[in-house]
Amino acid sequence: MATRKKVLLKVIILGDSGVGKTSLMNQYVNKKFSNQYKATIGADFLTKEVIVDDRIVTMQIWDTAGQERFQSLGVAFYRGADCCVLVFDVTAPNTFKSLDSWRDEFLIQASPREPENFPFVLLGNKVDLEPRAISSKRAQQWCQSKNGIPYFETSAKEALNVEQAFQSIARNALTQQNQTVDLYNEFPDQIKLTNTTNRNSNGDSCAC
Amino acid sequence: MSYVSDLSQSQEYLSFRSSIPLRRIVVDTNNVKGGWRIYDCGPKKVRCPLICLPPVSGTADVFFKQALALSAKGIRVISAEAPVYWNVKEWCEGFKKLLDYLELDRVHIFGASLGGYLAQKFAEHTHICPRVASLVLCNTFTDTSVFNNHESAALFWILPGLVLKRMVMGNFSSGKVDPDMIEAIDFMVERLESLPQAELASRLTLNCVKGYVEAHKLADIPVTIMDVFDEYALSNSVREELYKCYPTAKLAHLKSGGNFPYLSRCAEVNLHLLIHLRQFDGTPFPASDRFLIERKKASTR
Repeated sequence: MATRKKVLLKVIILGDSGVGKTSLMNQYVNKKFSNQYKATIGADFLTKEVIVDDRIVTMQIWDTAGQERFQSLGVAFYRGADCCVLVFDVTAPNTFKSLDSWRDEFLIQASPREPENFPFVLLGNKVDLEPRAISSKRAQQWCQSKNGIPYFETSAKEALNVEQAFQSIARNALTQQNQTVDLYNEFPDQIKLTNTTNRNSNGDSCAC
Repeated sequence: MSYVSDLSQSQEYLSFRSSIPLRRIVVDTNNVKGGWRIYDCGPKKVRCPLICLPPVSGTADVFFKQALALSAKGIRVISAEAPVYWNVKEWCEGFKKLLDYLELDRVHIFGASLGGYLAQKFAEHTHICPRVASLVLCNTFTDTSVFNNHESAALFWILPGLVLKRMVMGNFSSGKVDPDMIEAIDFMVERLESLPQAELASRLTLNCVKGYVEAHKLADIPVTIMDVFDEYALSNSVREELYKCYPTAKLAHLKSGGNFPYLSRCAEVNLHLLIHLRQFDGTPFPASDRFLIERKKASTR
């Protein structure tokens, strides 16, 4: 293969407000953390190039407002998601209890082809804080009951496990995308009689 | 050609055409042919609208999906198509006169392909006395040297329309396409067919005559770069060059969509335009008559 197709992974972060979704994304993409809480309004995204299995891929990470179910965003927001990251606060039991509804919400809105096999990743954030309300055993049990979702305990404040968690998110997203692409590939590639594909490597003839 | 595309028969398109008048605005005294053609949608009291500039093949109505969806959110969207100009400077002067006529001091510009290049050139042209509040650049470029036919560009004006159309259409579809992309291509072919020779020749000349954007003059302008990750008319190196010119730009990548994502992936494109424009909420340059972000009270779930 001469030039590998560029890969874009779309990742959506969900969870109750204040669990640290924006902080996790900022820590991962910008290596920054702020103690000041500012509620996210609407949705926003950041992009980052990552290497997964020797391959450079672009991750587009979508952060959402925890307070609002984002009816306002519509299908475009969920369209083509490759991985959904669920976040809860290990010191706040309510945020753990909401996980089921966030997961359901995602599956309803995004309606992936195989809901049981769609990759989720669970992050228990704020492990730097005391007292702990949700043990890692309890979180892991929940993950087991949902088809073995990977679980990471993170601290966006101390950059603990953030890199590892997103690396796993990227890998899961990439696997998902490869499977989806295969499903779409019902037809073999077109056979081209004229050699027109050189265009892309030799300069562009003219724009549309 | 008696062929009619599905998109131009769609309820959405028909409702756009029946509710928004096509205005012709002549700004150049020496320009006998027509003048600028615009569709002006949304609240007229907005003084800093989003202006959409089409690619070589497009007419002003190719942005009807943006005009309808965004004006419903209170954004003023003006889709503008230039008359015949033979060089970039003339184009920029003409566009400035159009903005003067419309009494718009600053505008946000969404430019696709050639439209994106001209948007950047206009921002460069007016960098001393800025007229551009922000840029959204869709599948575009910063340097025409990527096109290998700039030598022949000097001759475009005498080439028959049919030859020119063939040149453009050769780039329309490549690789895999889905039904939405096919609809978009059909629609664009129809627009291309409707273009008179002189207009097409002038746009191709602007597109291919040697030139580049002095991006350092645009350093203060917020930029969103929108591009597709499947195949389109430009190569990866062109894309990388654009990223390099605008290192602080927000990158709104789409997984797919081909050459005309504003038609084939309109929901995603509109979402990215909203995200881009809402940074101007509460600034002197809002593109809408209300806040784009709904400031709801935080409710507990």
